[in-house]
Amino acid sequence: MVNPPKKFDGVLIETDVLVIGGGAGGMLAALSAKRHGKAGTRVTLVDSWTIGRTGHTAFSNAWMIVAFPEDDIDGILREIVAGNDGIADQVLVREVLEDSFARLKDFEAMGMNFHRGADGSYARRPTRGLDLARVMYPDGGGLEFCWLLRRALEPIGVQLIDRLFITGLLRDGERVVGAVGIDTRSGQFHVVKARTTIICTNAITFRSGFVRDITGTGTLLAYRAGATLRNAEFSYVRPGTPKFYFEGITFAIQEGARWVNAEGTAFMKQYEPDWADEADVPRIARAMAAEKQKGHDPMYLDMSAIPEPMRDTFIGSKVKWMDYFFRKLGSEAKTDMFGKTPYYALNQMTKMGVRTGADCRSDVPGLLAAGLAQAGCANHFAGFHIGLCVGNGWIAGRSAVEDLERLPAPTADAAEIQMLHTETMKPLDAAAEAQSDRILRDLQQIMFAYDVGILKRADRLERARAQIDALSREFEAIAAPHVHELVRLKETEAMLLAARMILCASLERTESRLSHFREDYETRDDQNWLAWVDITDRNGELDLERTPIPTPLCSVEPVRRPARLKKQLAVGGVD
Amino acid sequence: MIEAIELDKCTGCGICDVVCPADVIHMEPAPQRGGIAGLQSTFRLPVIKYREHCITCFSCEIFCPEQIVDVHPSVKNRPRPW
Repeated sequence: MVNPPKKFDGVLIETDVLVIGGGAGGMLAALSAKRHGKAGTRVTLVDSWTIGRTGHTAFSNAWMIVAFPEDDIDGILREIVAGNDGIADQVLVREVLEDSFARLKDFEAMGMNFHRGADGSYARRPTRGLDLARVMYPDGGGLEFCWLLRRALEPIGVQLIDRLFITGLLRDGERVVGAVGIDTRSGQFHVVKARTTIICTNAITFRSGFVRDITGTGTLLAYRAGATLRNAEFSYVRPGTPKFYFEGITFAIQEGARWVNAEGTAFMKQYEPDWADEADVPRIARAMAAEKQKGHDPMYLDMSAIPEPMRDTFIGSKVKWMDYFFRKLGSEAKTDMFGKTPYYALNQMTKMGVRTGADCRSDVPGLLAAGLAQAGCANHFAGFHIGLCVGNGWIAGRSAVEDLERLPAPTADAAEIQMLHTETMKPLDAAAEAQSDRILRDLQQIMFAYDVGILKRADRLERARAQIDALSREFEAIAAPHVHELVRLKETEAMLLAARMILCASLERTESRLSHFREDYETRDDQNWLAWVDITDRNGELDLERTPIPTPLCSVEPVRRPARLKKQLAVGGVD
Repeated sequence: MIEAIELDKCTGCGICDVVCPADVIHMEPAPQRGGIAGLQSTFRLPVIKYREHCITCFSCEIFCPEQIVDVHPSVKNRPRPW
């Protein structure tokens, strides 16, 4: 017997293109959909907090790799692919690079100011681990970048909806026809009917990076709606301290800072004879984990080789929140940063995203992905996070409006909406105790362990998976007393599923590559593993398959260390 | 983490609530200032409702037009892997 549906109040929004997530990927997708769409194309951008003021991009430096027409684009593609150990969609990366100069011009037309040298030419910096690529940054960092983008979307008629947390994707058969969610303050239920939906909600995080408001739950919603996820075994793990967030590590190293262990020994050369301290972030993390395993922790960043006056340039930042941070920390910032604070390697975010083609379409009709929610790359290059988001957002917006021609008007099924409403609101119980933080702490403890999250081995991964499964069972019983907790609870639920995927994919990949290090399979194995691990839902179970990575444009051979990463500009608070 | 907001200097504009990425600050009805019988006051003041979820991003302090929000730079709730 079917229970009669419970009555519910809510809001219905109808649109053509729904973009979920207001970072670089989402805002560019919305801009692109408007630019490529016919007159009258309705584009709606939603975010769980305030578009332009929150999210990963807003708190970044907004560094982006921009390739000028005269640059060696094939060379840059080649070094990005090599730097990803081959884990890249070459066609997508090339298009992102090709488009980047036109996007720079778009940004300038929005009023953004990109730094120029004394002679009036653009200031372009090299970035960690890459030789040919150059990064650029707008004045005011991510906050200004996001705000000017928001301001550019308003007059072209993009509907902006702040504080709408998406809890499920609306389906019509196999196709995705929009989403449902709740107002993050009032809890009011919202249904957004759309012909095409673009997920731009970042990769999942375990609330570990500085920007702990991002959790990346959209990729898991896509998975539940039938999309395939990939790159779960890769992560962005970087050195951090419990006390502050130091964005200038790369440049400190370029100026002579060295990683040392508890005995004061510089250890990077031992692990990375070629790159030493200038190795890319995952390799520094692996070395730190190995030192930890040997009992050589804590580790420090020895800045003694850097002259005193230059050290001051590391304190202070062009990014407003970081500038406040260092200023308010005062003299403590200096003493702590320069050698006294222990560092560890902390997982900032996973690299798991939705599998799409180079056109950003997922395998599910009507569903696309962009930003870091799209699995085009597993990279960790400063400048190619936002660079990639800008580029794939642009591509996704264009593909989405192309699909408008092909896909019929969506029908909203009342029973489906009722089911999603029930699922969304079920955990709400005014008498409950907020417990998702406790579950999250346990989850972090399991996933951040150096010998699970960085130095992986089959037995430890299996043990962690059993722990995550036990935690998931415990989680099933918890409820949320208010909307604030309901949002956090849903985010934690997605994290638990993501944790399981990370452990399963890490077990599956029996080799070491990029940020995935297996103690029991230490070497990179291109013969068997120049492939993605793809995860699809099969009746509630994770179905893992290996998809060979095509290499139509360039080889995946590692690139040797450049003679010396070139210094072009004064350093200062940049990663 | 957010420490305090000087409510006696607060105009109730609500910007701190709007820019908070972690839902920490909520504008809530405040005692009426010179209330008039029969009229409901819309005056609201910020409440630090979920301090434990503050991510120390300084947004409330940066964007407060009255400069009356104080965020302490120590990040007490940051996870430690080891």
